[in-house]
Amino acid sequence: MNVGLEQYLMVSGLLFCFGLLGVVVRRNLIIMYMGLELMFNAANLALVAFSRFNDNLDGQLMVFFIITVAAAEVAVGLALIVALYRKRQSAHVEDLTTLKL
Amino acid sequence: MNASLIGFEIAVVLLGLGLLLLDLWTPPERRRGLGLAAALSLLLVLVATFVVPIPQEAVGFGGGYLFDGLALFFKRFFLVAAILVLVMQTEFADRIASGLSEFYALVLFALAGMMFAASANNFVMLFVAIELITVTFYVLTSFQRGRQASLEAGVKYLILGALSSGFLVFGIALVYGTSGTMSFPEIAAKIEANHSLAHQGLFQFGIVLVMVALGFKIAAVPMQIWAPDVYQGAPTPVSAFLAVGSKAAGVVLLLRVLLTAVPDLAGHSAKLLMVAAGVTILYGSLCAIPQRNIKRLLGYSSIASAGFLLLGLSALNLNGVSAILYYLGGYLFTVLAAFLVICIVTRSTAGQTSQEDDVGLFAGLHQRSPLLATALTLAMVSLAGVPPLAGFFGKFLLLKAVVESASSPDQTALRSAYYTLIAVGLTGVVISLYYYFGVVKAIFWSKGVGDLSPIPLSLPARLSLYVCIAGMIFLGVYPGPLLDLTDGVVKAVFK
Repeated sequence: MNVGLEQYLMVSGLLFCFGLLGVVVRRNLIIMYMGLELMFNAANLALVAFSRFNDNLDGQLMVFFIITVAAAEVAVGLALIVALYRKRQSAHVEDLTTLKL
Repeated sequence: MNASLIGFEIAVVLLGLGLLLLDLWTPPERRRGLGLAAALSLLLVLVATFVVPIPQEAVGFGGGYLFDGLALFFKRFFLVAAILVLVMQTEFADRIASGLSEFYALVLFALAGMMFAASANNFVMLFVAIELITVTFYVLTSFQRGRQASLEAGVKYLILGALSSGFLVFGIALVYGTSGTMSFPEIAAKIEANHSLAHQGLFQFGIVLVMVALGFKIAAVPMQIWAPDVYQGAPTPVSAFLAVGSKAAGVVLLLRVLLTAVPDLAGHSAKLLMVAAGVTILYGSLCAIPQRNIKRLLGYSSIASAGFLLLGLSALNLNGVSAILYYLGGYLFTVLAAFLVICIVTRSTAGQTSQEDDVGLFAGLHQRSPLLATALTLAMVSLAGVPPLAGFFGKFLLLKAVVESASSPDQTALRSAYYTLIAVGLTGVVISLYYYFGVVKAIFWSKGVGDLSPIPLSLPARLSLYVCIAGMIFLGVYPGPLLDLTDGVVKAVFK
């Protein structure tokens, strides 16, 4: 079978939807964060596929920026979640109840 | 050539790094002064933007960085905001347990991100600039690690911010895939050459995803849910910088994407923008009514303001864009004045979670410190849109631009929609009168005031308050100079 742009985009779209589903459905902050990373990587896959099939390297360049930024975001994000865990002994969204109407 | 274009950004980043180094040799009791030093240095950079010869319009870094009138306007805007925020931070210093210099330096790095955002001319620069701002704000929001509200606000901002970044990158991927380029002017040229591109489903979906992500930055529906929680939980100067800097960065990027890259599509999406504007105004105004926590109230008020900014955008004419810039100018002084007063007044009750930042804290403020009471009253009155203050003129210009669109002959199909939008905008203004005047009432007409001890004011705080008050009154009474400036900028940039 010949793998074309459509197949790559299909996988990328599925990954994005799974990531989004993970963020919306799961209640554990770490798992939600993993879902977010999945969304980033879905975009990376789409960018590389478009780049390959458009014969244009801009997309691959963008992927490097996204990977770098995502790494910085994970470093900050996990530190934050750990700090919250130390304070509350929980990483569940239901326990984030200090700020309310 | 390229390096000289980003001179101001380099200066700001170097200042931030220098601050981190200076921290090593500064004894702890004097670190607080570093903030004032940074504010003064930024003042020098601001003066430099007027003195240094600047190219009329220049492009650098492979077309990714654009220096034009709009970029310069927003760079100055961000510099003024950061100077006032740094002063606010020195007032806040006693509530930061450790890492005071980092607290200052991070604001400078966020400022650099905003200044890059003002010049973004392709999606790579847009993404990197926006992430520099957002990641910095994750740290800033949760800077009071001992305070649970601050941590919680940080985590909420983190999850929703990362979600919007996910939308952003996927949107960029789709736009890049269908158009084959990242650059805004090139996308516009491709649409010009081949109109069917603008009607491709994937391309439109990509642009919508990018707009949703930018809507997160300005706190507009459907990505507005974080604003009240984060404003309430974050340290007060950070809330102020979020309200002014982060929002303005979102606005300038929205203008660049909609008006430079896809002007055609922007015309077709008028209805979408109108619905977003109307719902955002109503959501912000209605939800603000029952609030007792002033920072939360300002969070909802910030959502309502985002609605007014979108209202200017949905007018789809240059006067609307010019009105957006004017509104932001007035908003800068108004919101920073309000947050500065909150920052100073709440000093005595820091740490008591139950009544932290309650509106009741302002009871009898006019006896404790007339200057603070005047500044907060003016800020509330200006936000409510009462003449002759800056906020009134901003809202007036925005609504005027929509009226122009409603009565122009080439928008007949949308006429009734525009009139509905105007009605919604006016309703929002009327509702906002109620909750803003609740604060004014608490200042002057509270019963059973306990604490009437005068509030000491430091010289920098006093100066910043004078600047904010002068800005609010000047922009309301003499709108001419700024209006000429914004008109000129907008006409030069979006022919």
